[in-house]
Amino acid sequence: MQENTLWSNIFRNQRQKEKSIETVLKQVPIFKDLSSREIKALERILHRRTYRDGEIIFNENEPGVGMYIIENGKVFIKSGKNEKVLAVLSNGDFFGEMALLLESPRTASAVANGPLKMLGFFQPDLFHLLETRPQTGNKILRRLAQMIAERLRQTTIENSELKNKISRYEAQRDE
Amino acid sequence: MSNDTTVSRIFKLIVLLLVLVVTGWLLVSISSTLTILIIAALIAYILDPLASFFVARGLSRMQATIIIFIAIAAIVAGFFAFLLPPFINELKTIETGIASGSSNQFFNDIETWITDKIPIITKENLDFQNRLLEMARNMSSSVFSIVGSMVSIVTTLVIIPFAVFFLLKDGPHMKKALVSMVPNRYFEMVLNLIYKTDLQLGGYLRGQFFDALIIGILSTIAMWILGVPYFILIGLFAGLANMIPYVGPLTGAIAAILVVVLNGGGGNLLLFVALAFIIIQLLDNVLVQPLVVAKSVDLHPLIIIFAVIIGGQFFGILGMLLAVPVTGMIKVLFGELYSSTHSYNIF
Repeated sequence: MQENTLWSNIFRNQRQKEKSIETVLKQVPIFKDLSSREIKALERILHRRTYRDGEIIFNENEPGVGMYIIENGKVFIKSGKNEKVLAVLSNGDFFGEMALLLESPRTASAVANGPLKMLGFFQPDLFHLLETRPQTGNKILRRLAQMIAERLRQTTIENSELKNKISRYEAQRDE
Repeated sequence: MSNDTTVSRIFKLIVLLLVLVVTGWLLVSISSTLTILIIAALIAYILDPLASFFVARGLSRMQATIIIFIAIAAIVAGFFAFLLPPFINELKTIETGIASGSSNQFFNDIETWITDKIPIITKENLDFQNRLLEMARNMSSSVFSIVGSMVSIVTTLVIIPFAVFFLLKDGPHMKKALVSMVPNRYFEMVLNLIYKTDLQLGGYLRGQFFDALIIGILSTIAMWILGVPYFILIGLFAGLANMIPYVGPLTGAIAAILVVVLNGGGGNLLLFVALAFIIIQLLDNVLVQPLVVAKSVDLHPLIIIFAVIIGGQFFGILGMLLAVPVTGMIKVLFGELYSSTHSYNIF
């Protein structure tokens, strides 16, 4: 299956087995610049959630509030009425980070595949962090901006490739 | 299928109504404890940014709370040492002031004027002096009873600060623990709801508090400069009354004018006092309110009036003062709840 640029974790290095929260967090690109002390402070802010098999994490078109980091388990990212699977995410992967900056409807649904443990980091938490620990908040914000820029770059490449394909197709059709 | 939906909706509505009735009954039966909790929660909520400020500068939440408490204790100790004796003294002199000869003549003049103009009203109907005397006696005796009764001392001096301390220290943990209990389906919605409500309410409540504080201080200073007796009491009253929109500021000014009249103050002093309150109100409307009070919580005058009446009915004077912020709180909460349930397709 070809991975979706928006929903897949294109920053994933390798599959991870269950690890401590600190290890999990340090592997998430947006927390990469944080010191161990800052990670500890972040741990206190994050929300730990557990899900049953098939439980909906969020639905497409519902307002998005923040991102999730998979501590242990698998998540299906689905879209459309036929619930087409866009990506399968597992330990150490994250999703929904765009909602940290933009309060807009979710562009896909997320469903637990098997028992799932996740950490939630939400817009209010990020804003609170920016107020109370501006340095930590800024490190996260900078990484987030880089990630979104990278996603934009990849989407632009995909977009131009598609445009090229269409123009090639149109040229073939006209011949 | 549609029948099932109707039945399920009716069932939901019945459950909701039942929950509301039980909650209402519970709230009424524990109203006195609830007042303490509301006051403690409001104080902790107003102080929360201060605690966050210290935490941002490297202190633990516990250390931040202790520093805030030491500062408050110093202010309260200062109040008790310097302001409480003259404050009680002021209340006692108001009582003797009303009963004195000069005000006796004043009330007679007013009563004669009214009975001349409206013949159906007799002097016995009016009896302003005795009514006012009764009011002042009630007020000072209630202050004495608050200071005097052991239960009130325990409540005000121990339970409220105790509750404020723990709400301030453990507030973020309590909030997180409560949020963690929310089922996954409603989790994001609740988190969003708390955040948005906090954003609107925080600005509103802190704004109300600082507005009342500034108006109280300005009124006290103005009355002190003009040489009006009981200036502390008038300032305190004007500040607290200012929390009630429309009626509050006028009540403060009327109280000051009444004090001047009762003490035989001349027309010039009356004019200056009225002018001082007009200037304070102008300052409040032009400078203080736009700076400190959030515009987001607009309550209709009719809602305010009824909220104040209901507050007074259930919790007395304290209820009247708390009515407006509590109504603001309910309005924001329900507004956000309504928009959240809609956007999350819950109902």
